[in-house]
Amino acid sequence: MMTNPLKKGRALPAVGGLVALAAVLLPVVTHSPSHLNLAILVLMTAQLGVAWNLLGGYAGQVSLGHVAFYGIGSYTSTLLLLNFGLNPWLGMLAGGLLAALLSLGFGWSCFRLKGHYFAMATIAVAEIVQIVFTNWEYAGAAVGLTIPMDQRGWGAMVFADKAPYYWLALGLLALTLGATWAVERSHIGYYLRAIKDEPDAARSVGVNISRYKQIALSLSAFFTAMGGSLYAQKELYIDPGSVLTTALSIKMALVSILGGVGTLFGPVVGSVVLTTIEEVTRATFGGTGRGTDTIVYAALIVGIAVFYPSGLIGWFREWRQRRQAQQAGTGKPAKNVDEKVDEKAEVAA
Amino acid sequence: MQHQDKRRSVLQALGATLFGLGFGPAARAQVAEVKIGVIYPLTGPAASSGAEMKNALELAADIVNNGAKGIKDLPFAAGGGLPRLKGAKIKLVFADHQGNPQTGATEAERLITQEKVAAILGAYNSNVTATASQVAERYGVPFLNAESSSASLTARGFKWFFRTTPHDDLFVHNFFDFLKELEAKKKFKVGAIATFNENTLWGNETTKLQAKLAPERGYNIVKQVTYPAKSTQLTSEVQTLKAANPSLVMQSSYLGDALLSMKTYKELGFSPDMILANNAGFTDTEFIKTLGKDAEYVITREVWALDLATRNPLIKSVNDLFQARYKINFTGNSSRTFTGLMVLADAINRAASVEPEAIRKALTETDLKAEGLIMPWQGVKFDATGQNILGRGILVQIVDGKYNTVYPFNLATRDVTWPMPKWDQRKAG
Amino acid sequence: MTADILLQTLASGVLIGLIYALVAIGLTMIFGVMDIVNFAHGEFLMLGMYASFWLFALFALDPMLTLPLTVLMLFAFGVLLYKFIIRRIIDAPMLSQIFTTFGLMILLRGVAQFLWKPDFRSIENSWVSGSVKVLGIQLGQPQLVAGLGAVAVTMLVHAFLTRTKLGAALEATAADKEAAKLMGIDSHRMFALAWGIGAACAGAAGVLLATFFPIFPEVGANFILLAFVVVNLGGFGSVTGAFWAGILVGVIEVMGGLLLGPQYKLAIVLVLFLAVLMFRPQGLMGKA
Repeated sequence: MMTNPLKKGRALPAVGGLVALAAVLLPVVTHSPSHLNLAILVLMTAQLGVAWNLLGGYAGQVSLGHVAFYGIGSYTSTLLLLNFGLNPWLGMLAGGLLAALLSLGFGWSCFRLKGHYFAMATIAVAEIVQIVFTNWEYAGAAVGLTIPMDQRGWGAMVFADKAPYYWLALGLLALTLGATWAVERSHIGYYLRAIKDEPDAARSVGVNISRYKQIALSLSAFFTAMGGSLYAQKELYIDPGSVLTTALSIKMALVSILGGVGTLFGPVVGSVVLTTIEEVTRATFGGTGRGTDTIVYAALIVGIAVFYPSGLIGWFREWRQRRQAQQAGTGKPAKNVDEKVDEKAEVAA
Repeated sequence: MQHQDKRRSVLQALGATLFGLGFGPAARAQVAEVKIGVIYPLTGPAASSGAEMKNALELAADIVNNGAKGIKDLPFAAGGGLPRLKGAKIKLVFADHQGNPQTGATEAERLITQEKVAAILGAYNSNVTATASQVAERYGVPFLNAESSSASLTARGFKWFFRTTPHDDLFVHNFFDFLKELEAKKKFKVGAIATFNENTLWGNETTKLQAKLAPERGYNIVKQVTYPAKSTQLTSEVQTLKAANPSLVMQSSYLGDALLSMKTYKELGFSPDMILANNAGFTDTEFIKTLGKDAEYVITREVWALDLATRNPLIKSVNDLFQARYKINFTGNSSRTFTGLMVLADAINRAASVEPEAIRKALTETDLKAEGLIMPWQGVKFDATGQNILGRGILVQIVDGKYNTVYPFNLATRDVTWPMPKWDQRKAG
Repeated sequence: MTADILLQTLASGVLIGLIYALVAIGLTMIFGVMDIVNFAHGEFLMLGMYASFWLFALFALDPMLTLPLTVLMLFAFGVLLYKFIIRRIIDAPMLSQIFTTFGLMILLRGVAQFLWKPDFRSIENSWVSGSVKVLGIQLGQPQLVAGLGAVAVTMLVHAFLTRTKLGAALEATAADKEAAKLMGIDSHRMFALAWGIGAACAGAAGVLLATFFPIFPEVGANFILLAFVVVNLGGFGSVTGAFWAGILVGVIEVMGGLLLGPQYKLAIVLVLFLAVLMFRPQGLMGKA
């Protein structure tokens, strides 16, 4: 299992390293396209969750409209490719930058809203973006856009095989994780935690709250958009119904909460669990048409949300602490408090 | 010792010869069943259509495997599986795409790589058919599409994609052919036209075709009204239509909106001379059931109608089978799905193999005659793009709670009633 | 665009807006009392519709007749839902609450499809059908009755909250849970009550809709976004706010669609909604 890499202990980084190695080598070992595809879906969803987490977990701003950035990324790279022949690698970057830019306007207008109001505003913005694209002829309107299959290879970012997509997804996830980790360790991360936990205290010390929230938002938007471009290059067909639905926004947040918001690998864990369940239940029960897979999936969401509110990573940490306390013999509660203080001190350094 | 050795080696040589000639057990494995992947919307917004199509598939597979007593003209009615594959039975492997293009692609890949299906049939929704068939194209597996009408699907230059149903381009041409012939017959001129469609892939594409063709044929479109899917009411839309005062409305709606719009027409007293619909919601089993008398006089494009049985008794016999099993009649969707599986079975049978390339080749050579089909087509024959060029659409008008074929005139069982009586002029009840 | 058409559209907008209001009232009450955003609220609507349908199809009982029964059933369902699931997430982080109700939404839709199949159902030839001319405007009877019904239920709820002791207790819990506890008001009872009333209101809206709107497992999806907008616009927790905001949203949607194009009608509502949030974040009648 992976947890905060800053935690002391020798076993975990070793395990983490092994997992990373296994992840990189997976396509070499597995040749089943379906299994690889499942892995790719897990990675892509994880990447979106990690990107979301920058804003939702670390800055504590719950956005339920992140799909707007995803769609903007998808459409930008695809339109640049179809209309100007721009290389998708550059198109992906362009999409990310555009999303980050647009997030400025978004943040400026919405950050003054609190809690549920903010969440609703994000949903409204994303729905408006979907309506715009559904009616915009230039962007294909409701008909959508198709990317041709004739050019293949790393230059065109179109592959007949699954393995390159896998490494692409893995690479993008690593990039997003890296960015999150860098933020977490930097002063930005420090301020974000302050803003999230004690906003009034932070403000009174002179922290420019809007500025740091905006940074988190722009980074989050950037990476989410890149994820959207990857989707377009993989499926080769996008329309408002597939890259701009609110259901996707919810999913991005869902994997984070399932795994543990505000933790580095939370969304990854959440994605592994959620995506696997989703795909496996559909493959097993979907053919009956009774919707059994939907029921199983939903029951699991409810179950995890109700019984593990701090996510799977949170649950794992609590379990470890309890086990350590038991092993220490007398279950000293003070130990937990000290650990938390230690953590904060480490991270703040 | 030596004697036994010699006998063994002779046997071995004999075995090897036989093996080489193909009589050995491992040589050409006897195929006991032919797996066909079927991807349809079994949950989600189109699920009720998906359920009907699943029924049609199960009936078709059952007929091929177990026969249909007494129906002589239907291919495979003798049952017993595929004759040229030594009675191999058809096994359907169902997958649900939930209306999601990415899910459709994922399921197609799973069916191909894990279930090892010989071919795929699907997917109803045009945008899902687009992605799922792309996967099949990548893997070189035949993909037969029986219901998606988006014209662009056969314009992709695919080798492995085959479509039995006519597409929107043809249907729209049908509409205008009909109007011209009707005008000649009844000596009048159709007035202003308004289009009314749901803002989805299918609705948009069809309307674009209509908008393009109308002026070419000398018709005037005065208003195009588009509404978002999942509306809670259609008041503004109908009011806009009313304000434009068209004599003909060309409508593309799925079931929910078809029902809602008809009720709103009545509520707001909107009664154009005619509503010309593009099946979907208008030909769903629930449409007449729900609206009752209020559905009367609507003309819709269709691909199938029960009253065609008067010219082709096969239609009635197969529909009776369907009715007996599922308590509902075929619709344009389910009848096409049924036919799709039959066409595929025919191709696999002629190929006498489950190898994808053999099936693909057999499909390109398909030449089915009209008599063995339950569709009002001239046959099934695919052109270079994989499109069946012998397909045909019809137009039906709802009168007395039934769909009556009114066009082409040589197939019609009833004369067209034009214009529709106004709401307040209709008989009560 | 004649005055006739404008007036007609306005009337239609008010009527559908009243339905939105009725759905939103339940939603805002739940939020007001316990700070939980119920994503599954549209499913209460759906269940109300199905309840009406089955009573009609199986026993030939008109929806108007079975309305009280359906409302009671939904109330009970809401309370049960609280007792078995929601109770456990009262103090959980907002995200957990969101995903519990979101999961419930999917679960209820899935179960509905499993039990009743995805086919569209409808109630035909109920007591309220046909149209009627009111002041020169043609209105559908079902829509008119639905609108009036929504007004009636809203007035009932408002009376309950302002004139009964139980209602006052509910308001007190909404205002300050801890203080209310100190005064001997059992929070959990209040929460269960709020949830029950919320479900009952949405269920009532469902019954009223069932006379003219198609019934299918995913029907909740058509209404839930607008319900959220109405709740936000009116101010989280304000029943009166939800009422007026509902009417406003209905009118804007329909008039906006007529004047600017129906494909944009939802966008128009959302843009106006965002504008209001910008300048008055607590909504029209919410507490600042």
